[in-house]
Amino acid sequence: MQYLTLQNIGFATGFILILIGIWGFLTQKNIIKIIISFALFDTGTHLLLVAVAYIKDRTAPIIDSSVNSANAVNEIVDPVPHALALTAIVIGLGITALMLTFTLKLFKHKKSLDITKYKDLKW
Amino acid sequence: MVDPIHIISSALGVAFAIGIVGKLGKNVTIAVMLSTLAFMAFISLQWFMAFFSGEQETTQIFTAGFKPPISINLQMGFNEALFTLLVNVVGLLGGIYLIDIFKKQSKNVLTVFLVLIMGLNVIIMTRDIFNLFVFMEIVSISIAGLVFMDENLKSSQAGLKYLIATSVIAGMLLIGIIFAYYFTGTLNIDDLIATNLTTIKGGGIVVFLILISIILELKPFPANGWALDVYESSTPGLGAIISAAAATASFFVLSKVMDIAGQEWYYYISLIGAITFIGSNLLGLKQDNAKRLLGYSSIGQLGLLMIILGFRDILGDQTPYVIFGILVSHYFAKAGLFWLSGIVKAQKLTDWAVIRKKPFFLFLMGTFLFALIGFPPFPSFFAKWTLVMELVGSGNVTWVIIVLFGSMLEAVYLFRWFGYAIKGENEHLEVFKIDLHKMIPVWIVALALYAVGYFTAQMTEVGATINFIPLAFVGVLLAIDFLPVFVKNTIAIAGMLLHFYFVYPDLDDIRLLFEVIFIIGGALALIAGYAYKGKRSGFYPVAILMYAGLTGIIEASTTLEFFYGWELMTAGSYFLIIRGKRSMPHGLSYILFSIGGAYALLAGLGMAHVGHTTFGMDILNNIQYLPVWAYALIIIGFLTKTAALGLHIWLPGAHGEAESDVSPMVSAILLKAGVFGLVLVLIGMGAENNQYEMLTYALGWLGALTVILGSIMALFQEDAKRLLAYSSISQLGYIVLGLAVMSHLGWLGAFTYVINHFLYKFILFMTLGAVVLRVGTHNMYQMGGLIKRMPIAFIAVLISIIALAGIPPLSGFAGKWLFYNALIAKGWYFQGVITFISSGIAFLYLWRLIHTVFLGQLKDNHRNVKDISIWFSIPIFVLLIGLLTFSFKPEWVLQPLGNMIAEFFPTGQLTWNGGTAISQYGYWSGSVLGITIGSIFMLILIWLLVSTRKAHKVKQFDITYSGERPERPETTHVAYNVFEGVYKAIWIATIPLVETFWTRVTNLLHDTAGFTRRLYSGDGQSYMLHIVVFIVITYLVIIGG
Amino acid sequence: MNIYVKLAYTLLGLLIVINWGMLMGATMRKIGARMAGRHGIPFHQPWINLLKNFSTRTTITHGIMYYLGPVFRLSGGVGLFLFMPMVFTGAVDGPWTNFSFEGDLVLILYFQVFGMLGMALGAGEGGHPYSAMGIARGLAQHAAVELPLTLAIVSIAIQYDTLSIYKIVEAQQGSILNWVLFTNPFAAAAIILAMLGALGHSPFNLVKAPNEILIGPATEYEGTYLGFMMTAGAVIHVMEAVLFMNLVFGGANSWLELIVKSFLIYFWSVFVGMVFPRFKIEQSITWFFKVPFVLGVLAILMYSF
Repeated sequence: MQYLTLQNIGFATGFILILIGIWGFLTQKNIIKIIISFALFDTGTHLLLVAVAYIKDRTAPIIDSSVNSANAVNEIVDPVPHALALTAIVIGLGITALMLTFTLKLFKHKKSLDITKYKDLKW
Repeated sequence: MVDPIHIISSALGVAFAIGIVGKLGKNVTIAVMLSTLAFMAFISLQWFMAFFSGEQETTQIFTAGFKPPISINLQMGFNEALFTLLVNVVGLLGGIYLIDIFKKQSKNVLTVFLVLIMGLNVIIMTRDIFNLFVFMEIVSISIAGLVFMDENLKSSQAGLKYLIATSVIAGMLLIGIIFAYYFTGTLNIDDLIATNLTTIKGGGIVVFLILISIILELKPFPANGWALDVYESSTPGLGAIISAAAATASFFVLSKVMDIAGQEWYYYISLIGAITFIGSNLLGLKQDNAKRLLGYSSIGQLGLLMIILGFRDILGDQTPYVIFGILVSHYFAKAGLFWLSGIVKAQKLTDWAVIRKKPFFLFLMGTFLFALIGFPPFPSFFAKWTLVMELVGSGNVTWVIIVLFGSMLEAVYLFRWFGYAIKGENEHLEVFKIDLHKMIPVWIVALALYAVGYFTAQMTEVGATINFIPLAFVGVLLAIDFLPVFVKNTIAIAGMLLHFYFVYPDLDDIRLLFEVIFIIGGALALIAGYAYKGKRSGFYPVAILMYAGLTGIIEASTTLEFFYGWELMTAGSYFLIIRGKRSMPHGLSYILFSIGGAYALLAGLGMAHVGHTTFGMDILNNIQYLPVWAYALIIIGFLTKTAALGLHIWLPGAHGEAESDVSPMVSAILLKAGVFGLVLVLIGMGAENNQYEMLTYALGWLGALTVILGSIMALFQEDAKRLLAYSSISQLGYIVLGLAVMSHLGWLGAFTYVINHFLYKFILFMTLGAVVLRVGTHNMYQMGGLIKRMPIAFIAVLISIIALAGIPPLSGFAGKWLFYNALIAKGWYFQGVITFISSGIAFLYLWRLIHTVFLGQLKDNHRNVKDISIWFSIPIFVLLIGLLTFSFKPEWVLQPLGNMIAEFFPTGQLTWNGGTAISQYGYWSGSVLGITIGSIFMLILIWLLVSTRKAHKVKQFDITYSGERPERPETTHVAYNVFEGVYKAIWIATIPLVETFWTRVTNLLHDTAGFTRRLYSGDGQSYMLHIVVFIVITYLVIIGG
Repeated sequence: MNIYVKLAYTLLGLLIVINWGMLMGATMRKIGARMAGRHGIPFHQPWINLLKNFSTRTTITHGIMYYLGPVFRLSGGVGLFLFMPMVFTGAVDGPWTNFSFEGDLVLILYFQVFGMLGMALGAGEGGHPYSAMGIARGLAQHAAVELPLTLAIVSIAIQYDTLSIYKIVEAQQGSILNWVLFTNPFAAAAIILAMLGALGHSPFNLVKAPNEILIGPATEYEGTYLGFMMTAGAVIHVMEAVLFMNLVFGGANSWLELIVKSFLIYFWSVFVGMVFPRFKIEQSITWFFKVPFVLGVLAILMYSF
């Protein structure tokens, strides 16, 4: 049971999400599903970030009443990955939005969400 | 100096401010954005100048007042300054180029554009790996966003594929970064390098993920379909930014991050680069869409840069120089070409023929293509030279082959494209409009290529000695191209003679001989140019370019100068050849064989340099590293120019289809460049060195076979100029064989041939060219009886074919006599017999030539043609006088030649007793022969004159063909297919094995490309699969292997 | 030797050669006629022809090259004579060596073409297809003949380490067994076969090809021109025979020996011609690429090791 720490669960879940994401965008033909797969993949990486930051018995890196501000360094988990996760989420949001925009444009052209229908450029 | 942080702050600030400034109107907003870009470029430039002068040291910029790892730090060093300068300059120019689109689109596009350029600056400067990730994502988003500048079905597909692919790649990078942080607790690249991640358990995978994602950003083959689609479908302005700015920045990222992995990765980076370079250029072969082609080329160039990056330990100090040269050429040229494609608005390669309706744009296109392929004076030339020298020097010959093979493939499709532009059908195409704002950027990058090229040459000790004056003369002629032929011709001739006057005192005998053939012969050939009317646009710059190259190889004191001259000559002659009406395919095969030969030469020169500290021409005399192979490579390089058997297929078309006065230039003069090279290299090998006996033996056989097959092929030509072209192949075979004998007599024979071939082939091509100008066809069976109309031309041809056939008493016989004496002394009997038979065959085709063109029945439509132009006659008769002098006083030339050769081959000289030459096997005197034959001839002639003084002149009348018009009139001409019987006897020797071979090679390459490129199915999903498979395979190779 | 004396000897030699050539030609035609059961021409027919040709009242010309053709042809014949050592007297500078540079083989082989060139171009200006056809075939066959001939000659040159005909003849003196015929049988065989082509009788009479293209290039000429051509023909026939005599059959020590040997050599080609009908040009060319070629290669291989 020693491997079943919160951190390892975080890692495992993250990787599973990533793998589901990869499986998704390699097999799904529907563009929306591909975008969802990407979102899953992205979320998986965010989970990894949080898991990396985790230190047993510590609290979130927010200086409020539950944290002694003088001894904060020893009471909170690593704050850097949390900052990274926030940034990554924002970027993921931007990308997903842009992908959806493209999807919308494509749908207007051909009225289809099947990615195999969009092979006008090749070779 | 302005703090580099302001590159970012100004861009960000203005990007946000555009929301407000936008209210002031489009024009103001665009002006504000462009001035911001200019400001960013200014900051980079300022830093770059400071670093370049050596006064500035690399500085770190810390954000948020902390030191790393707590904060993000940026670095500004020499490299960063250079790369941000490149990015910002292309950003500024690209912005100017896109003005019309900016005006049509919403102001948000301006914001995105500015953010893109800013993002590229940050990924260059940042030393924080997570920051890198963030800004790479920002760049991806902005590029995908800018796809909307020109939204349509195709570009949206491309944008989506691009976005999905880059996000997945970035996701992989993020996973790598996460664990890098997990293992080391830092995100600073320098700290990561210091921690030696690969030694930590599990660190290998982390490093793998980081590096492979960054490599994937560089679009390695074949996981790059997503990028190609964007190149093809997006607006050219964006293509230019991606190719020139984004790729440049990504490349810099790899160069700074790869140290995390350490040296064991270098090899794999080179390997991936090599696969990309070859694969991409191979697939480029099958492209017919210009922008996609440029995409393939861009990716190929990145592959080349990756190869170089992987070799940075071996290249050492030279790494920045090599990278700079290749990168900067690619950067300017690719930006220029993408922009051009936006101006020309031609999708299909064949439609680029429209570009020559504005010749200046054709010139720009040529500049970019030659820069990409690595011709002088562009930076890539010097970089490739250095790269090959260093790679060979470190024993990496295989890599040289990879680099040169990939470059060769690239040259194939780029020159094919250029061929369409120069010669393709453009009647049906509408001329394109030019906007000033689109033209300025193209103009600037083209100018920059020349400037940077010059600057690159000056940066090396050996490059600085190159004489750029002839090239400047080419520029002058280009500038005065609007003047009439008469003026330009005079200036060109004067320039060449002046050059000769300054140069000749410093040349040794051999060089002087060739300089006379090249420059004096060239000036003579130019005299015929007076016969042309109008402007003859573009002729003089390229002709002088060729002569500049030719004199360059003569004057070369270093191998670099030699190679520089060689490439100039190749470029000039290519343009000259392709001027002919139907020259396009022949120009292409000429340039490809030339480039192939040049690469062999380059590799050989690289091997010659090993073990020497200088690049002096004398290193050819003492090659230490694999000397046999090195000499063989150099010789092959030269043999492509002498059109030895197997490497000859470019010549007949190139010489046959060239313009009338160009044929003598490229035949009588240009071919001697290869001979000059051979002479140098054989002198280097030395007369007494048994080590190379196999090599010269093989060379001798090659020469002999070239002689016989060249003449057999000449026999079956219906086209007068092609007949002469095949005859040149055969004649050059004699020279090669004579040189290969490596004895005094052999060389004397070969030099006699050099002079003779110059004289008679010049006269023949010039005369036939002049005849063709009058009668308008090359086909012999469409001519006939022209002696009646063109007695001057006939006399010139008659005398030169007697000389060519080696019939005594003219000078051709001197060559043959020396030759057989040399061959028998050497013991090369069969070679001797073969060449002897060939002179019999030569007589056959020469008879055919003169008989069919000048004798027989005059054609009805030629009843009123005039004799050849006086301007053609002048050089012809000057050389005829030379030919006759050489015939009757051969000792005037042969004695000094003998003394010159005695320096290298002191034994077995010809002894002279007055005008009588004495060899081991016999003796002979040109003057006595001349007097004997001449006096009998005159006696008999006088007798005949006396006895037939009342002869009645018979007039020609038409022959009727039984009152019917034959379906194929040429078949009724006796001269048509006149050697049919001979063909039936020796058809086996005429099977075009060599052509078939090269056709098969070409088809194989194209079929491979056609098959392989089906990988890019167009399905966005399969591109993802490529990325994943690429990661898995590289993982297995690098880590799991 | 004084140059004038030499000139006199040379002119005398030329006279002999011309007359012997005409007589030999007539004899051969006579033999041919008798074999066909006809009476044939009288022996003096060539002189009659010559006289008639030189005294025609009218002549025509098609132009300058037509005019120069016979000049080239005859200069070619006479030149060939001048460059050939005729009778071996044991001295390089002997009376019958002409102006021959000791008979340089390369010179002789290349100068052969001089006359052909003149005839080919001169007849060409007349514009009759037959002449062009005859020439095309003739030149092609000449090139094919050169293959075995050159192989054999190179072999002889290696054998005696010289390209001088004089030295080759000198080396064959003493005994009949010193002839190349016996010392270098392969080369001799190749030459004997090549001779058939060089002398141009059936089956190799493609240039004049009776009944097919009439008499080829000579169709164009009459009068003095034809006289020149015939004179040249007589000289060239003898010179070809003398060349082979010098190369293979030990040369000649006297004019009588020369006449006998050249007659036999020439007769050999007539003899074959009586038996075999004419080849087509491709047959003729391939014929030289078979046995004569192999013999020539063997000859070189024999002496190059």
